[in-house]
Amino acid sequence: MVGVGVDPLERIERLASENAVVIFSISSCCMCHAIKRLFCGMGVNPAVHELDEDPLGKDLERALIRLLGTSSVVPVVFIGGKLIGTMDRVMACHINGTLVPLLKEAGALWL
Amino acid sequence: MFAGTGRREWSKEAKRVVACMGSQRIIGGGLGLSEAGPSTHHHHHVPSYGVLHGINTANPSTLINEGHAFNFGELEEAIVLQGVKARNDEGKAPLFTTAPRPAATLEMFPSWPIRFHQTSRGGSKSGGESTDSALSTKTEPPFEAESPMSKKATTPSLDHQHQLQHDHHDASRIVGPSSSPQNQSQAKSPHEKRKGAGSTSEKPLDAKTLRRLAQNREAARKSRLRKKAYVQQLESSRLKLTQLEQDLQRARSQGLFMDCGGVGGNLSSGGAMFDLEYGRWLEEEQRLMGELRNGVQAAVSEGEMRGIVDGYLSHYDELFRLKSVAAKSDVFHLINGMWTSQAERCFLWIGGFKPSDLITMLIQQLEPLAEQQIMGMYGLRHSSQQAEDALSQGLDQLQQSLVDTIAGGPIVDGVQQMVVAMGKLANLEGFVRQADNLRQQTLHQLCRLLTVRQAARCFIVIGEYYGRLRALSSLWASRPRETLMSDDNSCQTTTDLQMVHPSHHQNHFPSF
Repeated sequence: MVGVGVDPLERIERLASENAVVIFSISSCCMCHAIKRLFCGMGVNPAVHELDEDPLGKDLERALIRLLGTSSVVPVVFIGGKLIGTMDRVMACHINGTLVPLLKEAGALWL
Repeated sequence: MFAGTGRREWSKEAKRVVACMGSQRIIGGGLGLSEAGPSTHHHHHVPSYGVLHGINTANPSTLINEGHAFNFGELEEAIVLQGVKARNDEGKAPLFTTAPRPAATLEMFPSWPIRFHQTSRGGSKSGGESTDSALSTKTEPPFEAESPMSKKATTPSLDHQHQLQHDHHDASRIVGPSSSPQNQSQAKSPHEKRKGAGSTSEKPLDAKTLRRLAQNREAARKSRLRKKAYVQQLESSRLKLTQLEQDLQRARSQGLFMDCGGVGGNLSSGGAMFDLEYGRWLEEEQRLMGELRNGVQAAVSEGEMRGIVDGYLSHYDELFRLKSVAAKSDVFHLINGMWTSQAERCFLWIGGFKPSDLITMLIQQLEPLAEQQIMGMYGLRHSSQQAEDALSQGLDQLQQSLVDTIAGGPIVDGVQQMVVAMGKLANLEGFVRQADNLRQQTLHQLCRLLTVRQAARCFIVIGEYYGRLRALSSLWASRPRETLMSDDNSCQTTTDLQMVHPSHHQNHFPSF
């Protein structure tokens, strides 16, 4: 995509706004696999960015850590350009019924 | 019982005796201290025999046979007098009724100064009395434990008056028959008075003697403190032991422990700790269930019911917190379900119950529900199923990845392979945490969907459901096995259960 000079955080924001549902993941991570299965199971088609397959992935990962404040950073989910969080938050949102409206609002789901 | 002045007198007497004997540290704080001069008071009540613990704590090697003849009766009387005060001090007299040692050590006392005979009530009388009192006091309960003077035990003081009181109270240990010629050889004071009967009692105590007496006091005080600390340690250990036994009992009765001896050693400390905590959690859960039932039956106010329901929900939050801690130290213990009952283990999903199954059960049991609530419950079940499927698939992938790592290729670098495998295993903790998170969120959402009273009923149903599963596990574990052996490999599980004595049911299903 863009050259080295771009601020990782900016890049994250840009990537996050490009699709209704954006997941930052690591290809070997099983929890990332689980979250992908969750969205697919709901009929959502998320855009996945594998950080280990991105040449600037390390920078992105560091930026995400700063953003979230936790060290176990993947998977991270953005819906409609807004940060939702990691698996914890996504599951909580799903159970309390706020995830589906968010997805519909972002155009990722339509009934 | 004893006049205040009387006490002092006896103490003085005893001290003098001890000083005369030149006993050192063994005598300790109580006897043989600063008191100087002959006693002019003669009246003694027959005191209870003091504790000779001071002797026990003293260096046993000093309890050497003296070899000198001495008046046992006189000494014993003095000791007894001191013992009275000592009892006041600690209030722990029951512990101090060891007899044999004192008797043995008493015999080791050096010769008694003649002077004591003159100033005491009289040898014959004291002899007889002290013997009796010694015997009788061995089992006497502590008295005057509330004596205000008992507080002074720990402050050594060179002030004579102070010493008197100090000695009074601490003297129980002091009955220093443990003094011995050996000790005396260690005496700081060069001129020991043991030999001569009556040689020392007539002289005023000099500086060296005073110093020695002070040292004795100090040593006795330290002994007492050591003993106190030791006893406290013992008592707290005893309490801990009782608590552990109760926990063990509880855990066994709930069928939490495998009775397979072969894998007994597999229970890690993290796992064992969690098992204990879980046992206590279950007890508290039973109590909260009682509160819920009472609340429903008594039809308490909504606010009060809300409080009870919130309390039950918080209790489950606490369980998930305990599990997250346990997952860090022993995730396998949680996953293999050894902490839970056998029947619950049957339905285990990533270290706990499966939320969608619970909701299915609840939808049936909580009828009648409002339309909106039923829809909410079905929606919750649907979401939960999706989350469960996602986590299960993630776990499957982890398993596959692990298999690939362990099995894959020729073992060129076994260590590296193991390192990678260990890294993958570490992800298990994350899955158990997410599964517990899902369980926790589901319970909270249930509370939001239902009214307060419905939520109370809901929790009662959940509590009873798992209670019955645990009861089933106990019954199953205690079913008569002989009947199985008598059959020729036929499956008799249902009849076996029926053969269980009906009274078991009453014990395990009280709420039915």
